[in-house]
Amino acid sequence: MMSKVYLALPVFLPILGGLFLLAIRSEIVGEKRERYMNIGVEALVLLNSLIVFWILFKMYSFPEAGEFRLVLFKLFGNLTVMFKLDRMGSVFAGLVAFLWPLATLFAFEYMKEEHRKPAFFAYYMMTYGVTMGIAFAGSLITLYLFYETLTLVTFPLVLHPLTREAARASRQYLYYSIGGAAFAFLGLVFVLGFSATGNTEFLPGGVLNPVMAQGKENILLSIYVMAFFGFGVKTALFPCHGWLPKATVAPTPVTALLHAVAVVKSGAFAILRFTYFSFGIEFLKGTWAQWVVMAAAMITIAYGSTMAVREVHWKRRLAYSTISNLSYILFGATLMSPVGLAAALSHLVAHAFMKICAFFCAGAVMHQTGKTYIYELEGLGKRMPVTFGCLTISGLSLMGIPLFAGFISKWNLCQAAFVCGGQASGSNFGWLPYVGVCVILYSALMTGIYMLTVSVRAYFPRNEGAVRKGQEKNCDPNWKMLLPLSVFAAAILFIGLHSEPLMQLLTAIGGEMG
Amino acid sequence: MSVVWDLALPQVCGLGLHLCLDGFRLVYICIAILMWTVSGVFSKEYMAHYKNHGRYYGFFWATFAATVGVFLSADLYTTFIFFEIMSFTSYVWVAFDERRESLRAAQTYLAVAVIGGMVMLLGLFLLYDLFGTLEIDRLGGMAKEVLNNREGAADGISKRCGIFPSSAAQLYTAAGLLLFGFGAKAGMFPLHIWLPKAHPEAPAPTSALLSGILTKAGVFGIIVVSMVLFEAEEAWGTLIVALGLITMFLGAFLAVFSINLKRTLACSSISQIGFILTGIGMSCLLKSAGESNALAVRGAFLHMVNHSLFKLVLFLCAGVVFMNLHQLELNDIRGFGRKKPVLAFCFLMGALGIGGIPLWNGYISKTLIHESIVEYMELMGSPSVWKNVEWVFLFSGGMTVAYMLKLFVALFVEKHPQRQAEFDSMKGMNRFSAIALSAAAVILPVLGFAPHLTMDRIADLGQEFFLGAHGHQVSYFSFQNLKGGLISIGIGVVLYVVVVRGYFMEKEAEGKRYVNRWPSWLDLENLIYRPIINAFLAISAVVCRCVDQGIDGIVLLARVTTHSQKPKPRQQHDMNQLAYSLGYMIDRMGDFADRLRLPGKKRAGERKSVIPKLVRREQEIKVTGKLVEESFSFGLLLFCIGLCLTLGYLLAMFWAL
Repeated sequence: MMSKVYLALPVFLPILGGLFLLAIRSEIVGEKRERYMNIGVEALVLLNSLIVFWILFKMYSFPEAGEFRLVLFKLFGNLTVMFKLDRMGSVFAGLVAFLWPLATLFAFEYMKEEHRKPAFFAYYMMTYGVTMGIAFAGSLITLYLFYETLTLVTFPLVLHPLTREAARASRQYLYYSIGGAAFAFLGLVFVLGFSATGNTEFLPGGVLNPVMAQGKENILLSIYVMAFFGFGVKTALFPCHGWLPKATVAPTPVTALLHAVAVVKSGAFAILRFTYFSFGIEFLKGTWAQWVVMAAAMITIAYGSTMAVREVHWKRRLAYSTISNLSYILFGATLMSPVGLAAALSHLVAHAFMKICAFFCAGAVMHQTGKTYIYELEGLGKRMPVTFGCLTISGLSLMGIPLFAGFISKWNLCQAAFVCGGQASGSNFGWLPYVGVCVILYSALMTGIYMLTVSVRAYFPRNEGAVRKGQEKNCDPNWKMLLPLSVFAAAILFIGLHSEPLMQLLTAIGGEMG
Repeated sequence: MSVVWDLALPQVCGLGLHLCLDGFRLVYICIAILMWTVSGVFSKEYMAHYKNHGRYYGFFWATFAATVGVFLSADLYTTFIFFEIMSFTSYVWVAFDERRESLRAAQTYLAVAVIGGMVMLLGLFLLYDLFGTLEIDRLGGMAKEVLNNREGAADGISKRCGIFPSSAAQLYTAAGLLLFGFGAKAGMFPLHIWLPKAHPEAPAPTSALLSGILTKAGVFGIIVVSMVLFEAEEAWGTLIVALGLITMFLGAFLAVFSINLKRTLACSSISQIGFILTGIGMSCLLKSAGESNALAVRGAFLHMVNHSLFKLVLFLCAGVVFMNLHQLELNDIRGFGRKKPVLAFCFLMGALGIGGIPLWNGYISKTLIHESIVEYMELMGSPSVWKNVEWVFLFSGGMTVAYMLKLFVALFVEKHPQRQAEFDSMKGMNRFSAIALSAAAVILPVLGFAPHLTMDRIADLGQEFFLGAHGHQVSYFSFQNLKGGLISIGIGVVLYVVVVRGYFMEKEAEGKRYVNRWPSWLDLENLIYRPIINAFLAISAVVCRCVDQGIDGIVLLARVTTHSQKPKPRQQHDMNQLAYSLGYMIDRMGDFADRLRLPGKKRAGERKSVIPKLVRREQEIKVTGKLVEESFSFGLLLFCIGLCLTLGYLLAMFWAL
């Protein structure tokens, strides 16, 4: 079997590009050179995305091409660091590859007036590569390595404004992430110790050796719970969510792409991998560990959306919304069933588009008018029609209104919860999934409050004087911001209207679990 | 009429859409087209003085499409999708004025719509979980199976039902949730709160639609639940009848009190929905008793149709008033309708229709519902409770007459003490609006004068959807049937003379004026719903805030106890030594390089020392370095804790071995 060397390309190309940009960053001064840098960065990111799509195309069109795997090196014994592209990885990879070029385009416009652009874009690109590494990771140890690297390359991005607040936020981010990774490491050690294959490679249905695990179930389950919370730090699982709202001090492209998609979804992705491909749902289903993590996800959902209603700072409100929505994914994951996995992945995809769209709207408003609080938005809807049109779409979608992507994923999640609840009717905690459905609907209600109030304020100003004459001119941003926004809004609508292909793929992934 | 057109779009919106057209749906599509056409024509004049025409007409037609979608839907999933779209597009109507009151009303409307939608969705989940389908045609048989097997719970379908004791319990829960969701839109008690607020605030053409047909979308859902799922369930029928009676009575009661034209009409809508619900409930009850439920089914359906038509005419008449005066309080608009024959004719037709006066269409449908109550009462051996039900029904009909009389007298008989001459000179409406409005108004007596020709045929078209049995021909104008109607009218006249003229009017300098005797604190929304929601939000926020600082608290605790950091004494001079020495060297080397150059080539300017630049850089590096170092060390510390735990566990494990 030929090894697919090109699998490493999308991972290392942006990392090398970023390092190169870091090395020459002092040379980039003046408008002209900055423009060259922008073109270079965008070209590289676009090229990388094209490579990813090419690989995905190859994978789906030529099933006879064999397994897409690439062993990078061996740490010791059987512990290999390797890339392996399967269908679940391809979903995440495709999502990230789709979002990154558009987000980069947005970032050029947003960062126009900022300092230290080269460093910013260098780390922004490197994050792309590292995220790809997580998507392609073929074993738990690979995933862990890239996961830690992700913390390190995104740390400077949070620190970027260099204010006292940013310093504090980035420090908190680091504490939380590294602390969480320690717990995740615990899981890694145990998976290695109890693996049937002797290594940590991801296999559908898990790698635990049932014979070895016999009699030590409780220890393994407690390790699972610890690792779940460890990886859960990145998905802002309660009680380790504190870093996410604080990290909104970072520039909006970072908050939008990294703290709504790349970083946090990496955490969710890691949990999905860890649950479904390492421990295996056969081992976990119906145990106390399942109920503990499910309850944690449910608490986070309720907590996040309740806090979002109370928050008046727009980006922080969206961050709380992210906390809540990430736990929808985790809730799907903790259903420990093929339909649960499919539902979790569908929300992973849908939420990516919705939240990045919402954050970019917030970014566009901040960039054009400098307004960051909800109560400052009175009447802006008429001045920035496209921006607020996109925001309304993403808001309705987050709420789970039909026609939009959010409804599809919510429907799937609740349906999966019912299936799970039906199967677990013998268990003492079989009622938990049903409560989960109620929690999701409660959260949808809260989402209605916190997202729609923004749109309502923007379109129907409460005091007449808010829009004065002369201010009524259109101040939508230029195409670099509007293009990503409208593409994301269109994607939300498209998934909402025609989710069949996506759901077929996701159901097939769930089906691998058996 | 069976299904004549069927369209399934399996790949759209997740589960796929399924639309079909049968007799009932055909009637309602026709009504929707009629209503939207008439109010569209009327809007042209009504909206002339408003801004944002694009927004208005966009949402006007979007709601049309969604409403048609609701009525065409052949499965509840499709119903839900269009229902939600309809709720959101019609929200813009209510908020359209952008005044403080309309925004508040719109907020209520949206809250009820969103909560109703969520609850409905929960019901759909339960139903889908139980049956694996939401096709209306297939649900009926499955539900019957579940309900019939209630006792013998050991068989196939009722064994697995999660937290529910039996499948029947799950079915009832699902249906209750659906009833909540659809009832919220229909204006069923206790979810009627949005109607009296939203209808007066919306522009008149849209309040006609809100009241005339959007509420019917909710009724459509209730029909599906009651007639399809619980075709012959006594308990369910009783529940619907009880809710219907309360809604009917309460709506009429509120309407009698109200002194605002559109608010009265809105309360009247609540009351009329109550009549329809009673009809629906009665058909469940009759069927459960093994009787033919044709009377109730036809009554409920015809009353739906009739109410759509009345409210179209009446709200547009109110629109004419508002368009000219920009006021709706009865005291301010007194006498506006004098010397305006077209307006008077249209309003009178609507009033006679809704009041249930014989020869107008409302009488026919009310009679049918009344007869169904009487039939069931006789079947049960006339217990006193059903006697009371009949009287509530008749009394509500009487109140309908009373409040319509109140409106008619105020608008067309009384004179405004000051502005009557001004009112008389106003033209009212333009020709197009007048034609559209009278065309809609003429339908009402046409239906009522020849019920066998018109209304019976409409009912024949519609009743298959209700799974209603074909019944005997009803002679609408027999004495037996006229009696009920006449009793109601009698009650109404007495109520008007005694209560409205006596208690609701106050003497003033010239003549009398209307007063609002409703205690202002008695408002379900402000008294109960809003405080509950606000209190809930406040409490939950406090709870969340408290637990919010959990992990940070641990970090802080560590910082003040085990990891307290001593402030370091500042060492200003030592700090930059490296920069000084390095800078000095670079400067010297630069000088040296300059000296090596050819004397002919002169440098442009004096070379600047690099020392300050280097000092700045060094400080920057040190500060960030310190930050990173601290963060890392703390991170590593946590990491170590994790490792120690691992070791501990490993040790514990080996110990156990």
